[in-house]
Amino acid sequence: MNRPIRAELRRLLSTPLWKWGPAAALLAGGGLTSLCVLIGPENFDPPMPGVDTEAGVRLVLSMIGLTVLVPALFGALAVTSEYRHGTIAYTFLFEPRRHRVLGAKLAAYAIAGAVYGLLVALAAALALYGAAAVRGVEVGIAPGTAAGLLAGLAASMAAYTVIGVGLGALLRNQTATLLVLGAYLYMVEHVLAILPGANLAYPFLPGGATAALTESSLMGAAAAEVTGSATELLPPLLGAAVLLAYALAASAAAVLAPMRRDVA
Amino acid sequence: MRPPHRLEIRGLTKRFGPVEAVTDATFDVEPGRVTGFLGPNGSGKTTTLRMLLGLVRPDAGTALIGGRAYRDLPDPARTVGAALEAKGLHPARSGRDHLRVYGAFLGCPGARIEEVLALTGLADAAHRRAGGYSTGMRQRLNLATALLGDPPVLVLDEPTNGLDPAGIAWLRRLLRGLAAEGRTVLVASHVLSEAERLVDDVVVMHRGRVLTAGPLAGLTRDGALEDAFLDLTGVPA
Repeated sequence: MNRPIRAELRRLLSTPLWKWGPAAALLAGGGLTSLCVLIGPENFDPPMPGVDTEAGVRLVLSMIGLTVLVPALFGALAVTSEYRHGTIAYTFLFEPRRHRVLGAKLAAYAIAGAVYGLLVALAAALALYGAAAVRGVEVGIAPGTAAGLLAGLAASMAAYTVIGVGLGALLRNQTATLLVLGAYLYMVEHVLAILPGANLAYPFLPGGATAALTESSLMGAAAAEVTGSATELLPPLLGAAVLLAYALAASAAAVLAPMRRDVA
Repeated sequence: MRPPHRLEIRGLTKRFGPVEAVTDATFDVEPGRVTGFLGPNGSGKTTTLRMLLGLVRPDAGTALIGGRAYRDLPDPARTVGAALEAKGLHPARSGRDHLRVYGAFLGCPGARIEEVLALTGLADAAHRRAGGYSTGMRQRLNLATALLGDPPVLVLDEPTNGLDPAGIAWLRRLLRGLAAEGRTVLVASHVLSEAERLVDDVVVMHRGRVLTAGPLAGLTRDGALEDAFLDLTGVPA
């Protein structure tokens, strides 16, 4: 492993922040899934297909897509925390080829995001089958299909971590980055999903692409409820490609943004 | 340690919007000597150092270390050790972990980290979070970071800020010793009385311009450094 990546992994593991990762993964994957299964989508308002159907399982797992703010915020700290605490100057002194620093951060955070995603997927799988057993309901999806959906969600967590790194590198200010991410993921995107006209773009937005991975989205269902017409999501592979494109664009932004900037 | 390096600053200029931070700064810094980079707060010292270290891009001029710009050095952090002002620490990371992060960029063995901790008197506090460090301890940790790569050039920005008198005396001995080994030591300071007891050469900066550069003895021929400085800057005593 090259030295800057080793340094960034060490940086990541030498403050207590990462210890919240597994807890957040358990909550986002296990907590949310078991809650949805125990309540049962058929009892949602409006009622949705139950977990004894494939559509019901897809809907329940798609809820995990609503927690992507967690890895995105975590990724955003990669660069913003360096500016906040003034460590960025030392980092660029130890590796003046700035693109290598950002490349190392992207690699380290992609690894961390993938580990987080795996924990989320594992917790969700346990919660799905565990909670269904508790309710005495048969899980209405083939195990292989469920594993595929969860793998896609795990990969999307890594992608959002990388998107967070890129946005943080562009904005540098920690508070601003956190506000932009929160507002976009929980407000702007949801509004775009139901706005007539704009909802045509929704499948190509990060949230729409994430929903495509499970071929289901609560937002899509809500939009259909509001507008009376459902927005078609992209096919799962195309959704994954769109999400990957966002992650690559964020990576490019992260690598290019600090090249010529003065570090005062 | 690598061979001695001379610093050559030529025509360095930087504006921040309407502010002329540094204008046409030209001076040399010789190996084997401690050079004081003196001037009041806001005179352009820090901007000059940041241009030397490749952190700030000059509008004009060059700053070379052994004939190369910082970012073109084959092994920058093993050539120049820099301690900037006393921030640059994550409050939740221990002093030792801070050094391990930067040591990892160099491939430093753990033994080197313990060496610089001992050298800067931080060994006992190294396990504590840097957020609880006093300003003096932060200065020491920054100095330890600068020394990690055993560099032939040291660039220190106001290293005595926050140090107690014993700490200042310790720093003086340390820097004199490092210069005696043939290293190039550049120390920016606005405290003339301290500088006078530490440096061999001086570069005086005022309002972004270098007023004089040369041996301390030449400047203080007629009395104290403070008087010479006030004469140069035209400020009545």
